[in-house]
Amino acid sequence: MVTIAPADSPTQRAAAPAVAPAAAAVERPLSRRGLERLDLLLLCVEALDFNGGEAMVWISAQLGFTELFPNRVELWKRRCHNPLRRSFRRGSLAPAETDALIRILGVMAERLYPMLHQLLASSEPEALLQERWDLFAARLGELVRERMNPRRSGVQRLLDPVAGAPLRRQLILSLALAAGAGGFERLRASLLDADG
Amino acid sequence: MFQTASMKQTLQFDQQSCRLTLEGLPDLSAGHSSDAIGILTGWSLAWVGRPEELEGRREHLEAILRVVLSYARYLISGVPRRVGAAEDPASISPGEDGRHVLLLRSSQAGVEPLALGLDDAELADLVRVLDRLRLDPRLQVSLPEDPCRPLRAREVQGRTPLQRRLSGVVGGAAALGLTAAAAWLLPPPPAPAPAPGSPPPAAPRG
Repeated sequence: MVTIAPADSPTQRAAAPAVAPAAAAVERPLSRRGLERLDLLLLCVEALDFNGGEAMVWISAQLGFTELFPNRVELWKRRCHNPLRRSFRRGSLAPAETDALIRILGVMAERLYPMLHQLLASSEPEALLQERWDLFAARLGELVRERMNPRRSGVQRLLDPVAGAPLRRQLILSLALAAGAGGFERLRASLLDADG
Repeated sequence: MFQTASMKQTLQFDQQSCRLTLEGLPDLSAGHSSDAIGILTGWSLAWVGRPEELEGRREHLEAILRVVLSYARYLISGVPRRVGAAEDPASISPGEDGRHVLLLRSSQAGVEPLALGLDDAELADLVRVLDRLRLDPRLQVSLPEDPCRPLRAREVQGRTPLQRRLSGVVGGAAALGLTAAAAWLLPPPPAPAPAPGSPPPAAPRG
């Protein structure tokens, strides 16, 4: 046991609120880059879960987003604001819609967290880990080829076996950090980053 | 305030690779319920497969909470960077082998800092544990808030390789230079011939 410092006398501080105050609502729409990342993260969820598309619709209803996304088509239309899509829709999404999509993504990431953990853990046997990443890359590649515009450089980079590997890892790590209690605020803030 | 040993509360937050345990007492004078912790008496963080179990003062827990959540905020944006200064009780920075090095400094003199190399999965577990701790309504102790804000353009510059960032500027400058060179090589248009009967141009004076 390593002790950083002895646990000293009881420390008493002012009482904190029971639950951390919710962050202020998004007041500006996501940038093109933010929309790209959000849709790619949802695509990763589908690559990890064969029934991911169905699950998203079900979770959307469970979270009370039926008015925003009454059916699968409406959900799909919102995701088509990703500029990398073959069927790209111009315009931006309303903050309430992006918030709802981030919430759905957070719940999906929470459900898939054990798989995300397996992909990210270095303690797993190397061969098994490689097999898992290959499987994920193959499934994601299928979905990307099916839905994204192959002429876009971002799509080509993602499909590249070598150059795409760190991008895929970053997507999985983002999903892992977006899961759980504080994941929503963290992911939302990152999707609102300025363009570098 | 009257408290007994039986009022001691323990909160435990588990993930696959780590377990955070908090011990404390409800502060009845502040109106806390008997299952709350208003006075933190100790904490420990244990890792699966590691002999080290961290313990410390409240300041260390606050420092870990602050630097790890801030680091995770940068990491989710794809810009890992060191969080925490050299003199802080805790700091975290990206390691050489893709790990994340959590450095903990003891407040006791002569104790070497403890470095923990966490892989992505262990870091994600730690972030989840700290998120749950921060948002647990039973913990009635003020803790640092999670700095979740969008990053500014200069903070995310490292996300795009320098080559790609400069390609637009260099390409634009090259195109401008080529156009200017081509325009300079073109012969000037001939001067218009003077119309018959018009006065000759005035000779310069002096």
